[in-house]
Amino acid sequence: MLAGIDYFIVIAYIIGMLLLGLYFKKFVNSSEDYFLGGKSLPFWAIGMSIVVSDIGALDFVGVSGQAYRYGISVGNFDWVGSVPAMLLAAFIFIPYFWRGGMYTIPEYLGRRYNQKVRTIASVTWILFFALDLGVLFWASAVLLNVLMGWPIWISIVSTAGVVGLYTYFGGITAVIMTDVVQFVIMFIGGFALVFLSLYEVGGWDNMVEKIATMGPEYRNHFDIIQPQNTKSPFPWTGILFGLTFVMANAYMIGNQSIVQRCLTAKNEWHAKASMIFGSALKMFIPILVLFPGLMAVVVHPGLADGDQALPLMIKSILPPGLVGLMFAAFFAGLMSSVDSLLNSTATLFTKDIYEPFIKKGADDKHYLKVGQITTLVLLVIGVATSPISSDFPGIYVAIQTFMSYFQGPIFSILLLGIFWKRSTEWGGLSALVIGIGFAVYLNVFKEQFFTIEDPFLYISWWSFLLGVIINISVSSLTKKHTAEQLQGLVFSSKILSKNKNL
Amino acid sequence: METNEINAGIKAAQINNALGFFILVFGCIVLFAMIYTETFIEHMTDMIAGLLLISIGGGMIWKARNTIKKLKAK
Repeated sequence: MLAGIDYFIVIAYIIGMLLLGLYFKKFVNSSEDYFLGGKSLPFWAIGMSIVVSDIGALDFVGVSGQAYRYGISVGNFDWVGSVPAMLLAAFIFIPYFWRGGMYTIPEYLGRRYNQKVRTIASVTWILFFALDLGVLFWASAVLLNVLMGWPIWISIVSTAGVVGLYTYFGGITAVIMTDVVQFVIMFIGGFALVFLSLYEVGGWDNMVEKIATMGPEYRNHFDIIQPQNTKSPFPWTGILFGLTFVMANAYMIGNQSIVQRCLTAKNEWHAKASMIFGSALKMFIPILVLFPGLMAVVVHPGLADGDQALPLMIKSILPPGLVGLMFAAFFAGLMSSVDSLLNSTATLFTKDIYEPFIKKGADDKHYLKVGQITTLVLLVIGVATSPISSDFPGIYVAIQTFMSYFQGPIFSILLLGIFWKRSTEWGGLSALVIGIGFAVYLNVFKEQFFTIEDPFLYISWWSFLLGVIINISVSSLTKKHTAEQLQGLVFSSKILSKNKNL
Repeated sequence: METNEINAGIKAAQINNALGFFILVFGCIVLFAMIYTETFIEHMTDMIAGLLLISIGGGMIWKARNTIKKLKAK
């Protein structure tokens, strides 16, 4: 448990976040303010927010733990698994979403294919986000319980109260701006941790030498590319095909909570620049997250659970003050994941379900209210379902697996939707439905198809590939769209220019 | 400059001002935490981290206030 100054810092951080978030209430007067921050935010804030929401507290601990167990190959997730996809998103995809004045990714799919594709994609994301909420509330409560000694229920309710209040009132502006603070604190605390850890292990060369003598299981710890028959979940084939080609692109281009941030930019230049700036910042993440995990191999050898590596390093290496600040950043990471889910789910529900199916053509204030009420309802669902997470310890992994079911198929229809004019509404719909079904099938019978324990990278690759094949086959047999229907929705070299007439 | 652009500029500056204040306060707390450190290296780490946070926060406040002053004059 934390004590003294560190305890005070965590409390001050939570209260400060609440006050800061509530301050942004004065900037919310319409649904565009609530869902897209009034399209007025600068690239640097959005770029920082993308990085922070991508690397939440659970990932922070998890990636360090994986670096402890498997070495630097886990860094692929932030290098080849993020940077190329973010550049592709910046130059090709974001301009389409931006110029089309869209709020959600399913909205693009609806315009490009049909309403059914939009609804299926939107409902899938809403289900995923709603399930994830309970898990994140539980994780926040456990963290507060361990650090501060608060009972679980008080921890859940206080997390929900703080995050709920500022997301309800401040919308996405509060979400992004609280992320900026977290980013600054995470980077300063993270670099302090790396510097002091290096000092503790006697420098980089000394650490490499020590790890090399620790046994055969550490032989590949400094190989960024792992052989195809590795026991780790990161063989080079999975990294190249599953991660670089599919999951990274699907996450950076097809994930509502990421893309929605870019759409809050003050103009198209800022929208693109936010992704490019985010990709530059992303390259530092492995240094902050992975290195402490590696150094823990020397400082705390033989840990049964690698996920303990980072918290142990923070407690044993950082001085008073920075310990509290880093744990506050952890907590803020969880809050950031929760507020992103709340706001993105409210946007998806209001724009893709409520507006087209429940009440068309209402005034803007009405949709703003619906977005806010949806946020409250989601909050209640998240709090009510959070204890379920404690009954199923593997639920976080299960939810991440669920994400790999639909990332591949959704990316396949997004990719062909933009780059292949011949792709039709039936092609898109069948690729989405069959692709998701195939991913579920592969996961259920994974022992028969794969040799590694957790083949989520392979599953996303094969479901993506099947999605592409189905889309091409069905589209070739069905009626194609007219040129007018495709206006502004398919690739044109004009997207690379400043020409607004696509 | 149009009124909308001026309002957007003021809004951005007000946001930066609030963020800067928050970061500055935390910088001061980390600097204060120096008195709880035991070794020289811990002392220096808290000092550098605290001063960095204070300069980032202070810089944001200074820039935001200047911008607000300029935009309001227009």
